[in-house]
Amino acid sequence: MARIELSGIQKKWGAIWGVRDVNIDIADEELIVFLGPSGCGKTTTMRMIAGLEDPSEGEIRMDGEVMNDVDARDRDVAMVFQGYALYPNMTIYENIRFPLRMRDVPKVDQDRLVREAAAMVELGDLLDRKPGALSGGQRQRAALARAVVRKPQVFLMDEPLSNLDAKLRQAMRIQIKHLQRQLKITTVYVTHDQIEAMTLADRIVIMEGGLIQQIGTPDEIYSDPANTFVAGFIGAPPMNLIEGRMEDGIFTAPSIRVEGLIRNLSGPVTLGIRPEDCHVAGAEAHVEGTVFGVEPTGDMTYLTINAGDALIEVKADRDYRSDLDVPETVAFDPARIAFFDTTSGQRIR
Amino acid sequence: MASQRRRKGESLFIRYLILGTWALFCLAPVLWFLSIGLRPRTEIITPQPIYWPTFSLDAWHMIWSDWPMAKYLRNSVLAIIGSVVIDLVLAIPAAFSLARYEYRGRDDIGFYILSTRMMAPAIVAIPIFFLFRNMGLLDTVWALMLVYAAINLSIVTWIIRSYMIDIPKELEDAARTDGASDLRILWEIIIPAILPGIITAAVIAAIFAINEFLFTLLIASTPNAYTMSVALANFTGGSDGLIYNAIALVAFLAFVPVFLVVVAIQKHLSRGLTMGAVKG
Ligand SMILES: Nc1ncnc2c1ncn2[C@@H]1O[C@H](COP(=O)(O)OP(=O)(O)O)[C@@H](O)[C@H]1O
Ligand SMILES: [Mg+2]
Repeated sequence: MARIELSGIQKKWGAIWGVRDVNIDIADEELIVFLGPSGCGKTTTMRMIAGLEDPSEGEIRMDGEVMNDVDARDRDVAMVFQGYALYPNMTIYENIRFPLRMRDVPKVDQDRLVREAAAMVELGDLLDRKPGALSGGQRQRAALARAVVRKPQVFLMDEPLSNLDAKLRQAMRIQIKHLQRQLKITTVYVTHDQIEAMTLADRIVIMEGGLIQQIGTPDEIYSDPANTFVAGFIGAPPMNLIEGRMEDGIFTAPSIRVEGLIRNLSGPVTLGIRPEDCHVAGAEAHVEGTVFGVEPTGDMTYLTINAGDALIEVKADRDYRSDLDVPETVAFDPARIAFFDTTSGQRIR
Repeated sequence: MASQRRRKGESLFIRYLILGTWALFCLAPVLWFLSIGLRPRTEIITPQPIYWPTFSLDAWHMIWSDWPMAKYLRNSVLAIIGSVVIDLVLAIPAAFSLARYEYRGRDDIGFYILSTRMMAPAIVAIPIFFLFRNMGLLDTVWALMLVYAAINLSIVTWIIRSYMIDIPKELEDAARTDGASDLRILWEIIIPAILPGIITAAVIAAIFAINEFLFTLLIASTPNAYTMSVALANFTGGSDGLIYNAIALVAFLAFVPVFLVVVAIQKHLSRGLTMGAVKG
């Protein structure tokens, strides 16, 4: 059980930045998810926590103790790798037992612990197989069992589900969350899949270009994005971001006019509104455009409106149907509108 | 469908025909040796062509009773196996270091190790002769063992390194977070994973050692240290004149074990040879 603090962490290889500046305080027993596009430094950050990579700058503390100079094998951290990294020449049983052997757990306990861990991920009858004879999902569970078997202080999981198909991914997601709650082990989970992040996380850390863009609960990240990157990254489809001007509490952009907004803002701003906070309107419309696309999904219909310079995504009623290129009007829920600085992308509150 | 299948069958047949012809061409001398080795001496040196050869084990009995063939064989086996063991013990840690650690001059050291293979061996023949003489190792199997090991060390290191580079780094990282030291990682993870590579390197080294002639001739001056390769060269029969059938039989017997091993691991062998040589 451990609290992890990263302060001023940087990682650089020659001229290549892996991580520019990362500060996070991860609480004991928390499940924190690093989310960001490929190459943003998630794996690098995680490897530094594991001790597989030395930070160029900054300090890593666990329970207040500085860990920078502690070797990976002396940190009580278990990692699940993207490619599972099961030892190919050992059976699943030997794979799960390996960390116990390396840590000199008494022989009498080893067998019991291996079987407990295997049972936890429902792998009991596959213990004699080699990893090569297992399916992707089974390998994934074997890797999990190997990580949980020694009850580490910290779990690190690097995109553990990215090689599985969608259905299996959901099943494993639930299993991982269940396991983490049951064992109460501080967990850092890396993914580029926002659904995974939203469903698993106590808190999400959004990263981009080696920098943290926002840290918050899934609700905060979703409904209160700190900048246009977060707003445009989270949500499917993501938040509409419309560049325009503000004057006397009126926001204007081509084909768009929103009145009655806060008056202390003026000049160029970016208006953000989520597709589910837009609706097809009669009178009182904010957008007068034409229908660009209609995509029924069964439980709702994705409607895309062509509004001058911008395409606006609307989650419309599931019965909504329309021909293309006909005029249509859309209204925003004023309480849900967010503003961002057009040049810096930062949220204006 | 049917005609397509026939065409496929035809192309397969042609392929076998070409490869079979080539194999026959390559193996003909070997089979010729076998045929000479299993015939009586009188039949071999007659100028008349013989269409129905006579089978005889004369040569077989002769090589075991009249010459210390068992001793030559023992010398060969001892020197070769010993040299391969030395090579593996030295090359595996060296390859691990070259493949995994980052340190100043690593690539230079790698190149230096490889460069020992580029030099013409004759250049160091005389120094090595004096070296072993001063050590009192001339005309011993131990000297042969050391020389073979030295000759092959670079190629064994390089082949093993190329296999190690191919192992996903994640595997080592996993072992490290599981609490394994570098030595345990090498012993429990890396070596089992590259066992085919290690066997390939060992076989290649053994083949080079079997065929080694120059240094063996230099070091082995009496049957005390003669190996098969040098014994063969000296094996002319003395007062009996040239005993072609015995020579042929010994040559054939020296060839068979290597042939069998190569057939058994040929898939790995081509990979070992090309990777060791080409891949930096
Ligand atoms: N060993 C390394 N040497 C040089 N650059 C690296 C190394 N590892 C990662 N990087 C670079 O650091 C950046 C972050 O990588 P990574 O942490 O793997 O991203 P993510 O896991 O978020 O996809 C990338 O631009 C990557 O190319
Ligand atoms: Mg990654």
